Amino acid sequence: MERLTSRMALFPGCTLESSSISFETSLAGVLRVLDVPCPTVQDWNCCGASSAHALDHKLHLALNLRNLALAEEQGYSDLLVPCAACYHRLAGAAFELDNDAELLGRLNTETGLDYRGGVAVRNVLDFLTRDVGVDAIAAHVTEPLTGLKVACYYGCLNTRIPRLECFDDREYPTSMDDIVRVLGAEPLDWSYKTECCGASLFITAESVSARLVSRILKDAVARDADCMAVACPMCQNNLDTKQAEIRAEFGIAAPLPVVFITQLIGVAFGIGESELKLAHSFVPFDLAQKSGE
Amino acid sequence: MEVALKENPSLCYQCAKCSTGCPVADDMDLLPHQVIHLVSLGMGDRALGANTIWMCAGCYTCAVRCPNDIDITSVMDDLRSKAVEQGIECPVPEVLAFHRNFIKNFSRRGRMHELRMMGEYNLRIRKPFHNAALGPKMFLKRRLHLFPPRKVRGFKRWMRKLWKG
Repeated sequence: MERLTSRMALFPGCTLESSSISFETSLAGVLRVLDVPCPTVQDWNCCGASSAHALDHKLHLALNLRNLALAEEQGYSDLLVPCAACYHRLAGAAFELDNDAELLGRLNTETGLDYRGGVAVRNVLDFLTRDVGVDAIAAHVTEPLTGLKVACYYGCLNTRIPRLECFDDREYPTSMDDIVRVLGAEPLDWSYKTECCGASLFITAESVSARLVSRILKDAVARDADCMAVACPMCQNNLDTKQAEIRAEFGIAAPLPVVFITQLIGVAFGIGESELKLAHSFVPFDLAQKSGE
Repeated sequence: MEVALKENPSLCYQCAKCSTGCPVADDMDLLPHQVIHLVSLGMGDRALGANTIWMCAGCYTCAVRCPNDIDITSVMDDLRSKAVEQGIECPVPEVLAFHRNFIKNFSRRGRMHELRMMGEYNLRIRKPFHNAALGPKMFLKRRLHLFPPRKVRGFKRWMRKLWKG
């Protein structure tokens, strides 16, 4: 852990500073308890997701090159990227640029940057399970989530970067489940761990996204989940903010709270609401009621 | 400067694994394996008007499952860029409006301002009250920030060289 924590910076991304600020503050609380220093990289820019890569591959590479160059210039070897979309864009670009010196050279020249390469882009699930380790997490649990049944939802972008070796199984990942287990809760075996929630179709083609969201919710509810844990702001937004309407349309009986994995860890660590911001979720997450059942 | 697409769709042997796993295949006029077939036959132009490239959610399921290691999702990105470049009419105008608006939004300050992004998207698609019920709820949950993010110094000028949209 020493290698990383000494030179790792946080890349928060746009949504973690606005609609999903609870992901950023809960992560900060968890890292503090775990004694992992993680300053924010200065002057970072938007990674371009959901749109730069969708219209212009070069723009996507340039935006992320700038962020990687900043990390390098500021002396960081690793960037911790909680947002799954930012992670996908940054890690994908880093992989492409690290493996194509000619492309990196041309892009550096054109954008006026001087990135040499090699900054490691780290996923939060990867960091928590492989660097911190579940034993270290378990050691800080003061309020075990006994009896809580959790559907761990990984979505698309945490595990699916083409050709880049994944930190977990792409089709049936278990890193989040491993964390949930040491919190004292019960991770559920279910079928929609990595199915797509529709991403930006939530805004542009609502009926399509609603159908995808409904399938994910339906399976988790059928398995009697008390809540869903996620590691992606877009997933949280899509599964939570219009859940009442989607449940009504598709006949899903029970509401399902959707929380960030760092919020769940934070609850088990006894971190307060000012950092966890559980009240930001549309579907209320009432732990007292769940574990009392 | 051109950035060449590194994919080789000619490797495709039409197993259709991409289409069977695609979460939005139901809503596509051409299925992903049909698009790849067209590209491998040198008839990619025929795919440029299809809604497939616009309905693709970018979930990368096809890309990581392809037995011939074709990053199909990136092929979709490439075709989308070509369709825009050639001025081909977009069959799902909301998606193009969303992307253009999104890029314009973060190009101003270097970071996205979600409230303005949603408002200007509604104006672009000429539905000012689209999702209007969600805004106040997000605001009450303290998830919608009225003020824009802090400016990233020099970003706007830097970005101008890269995006003319």
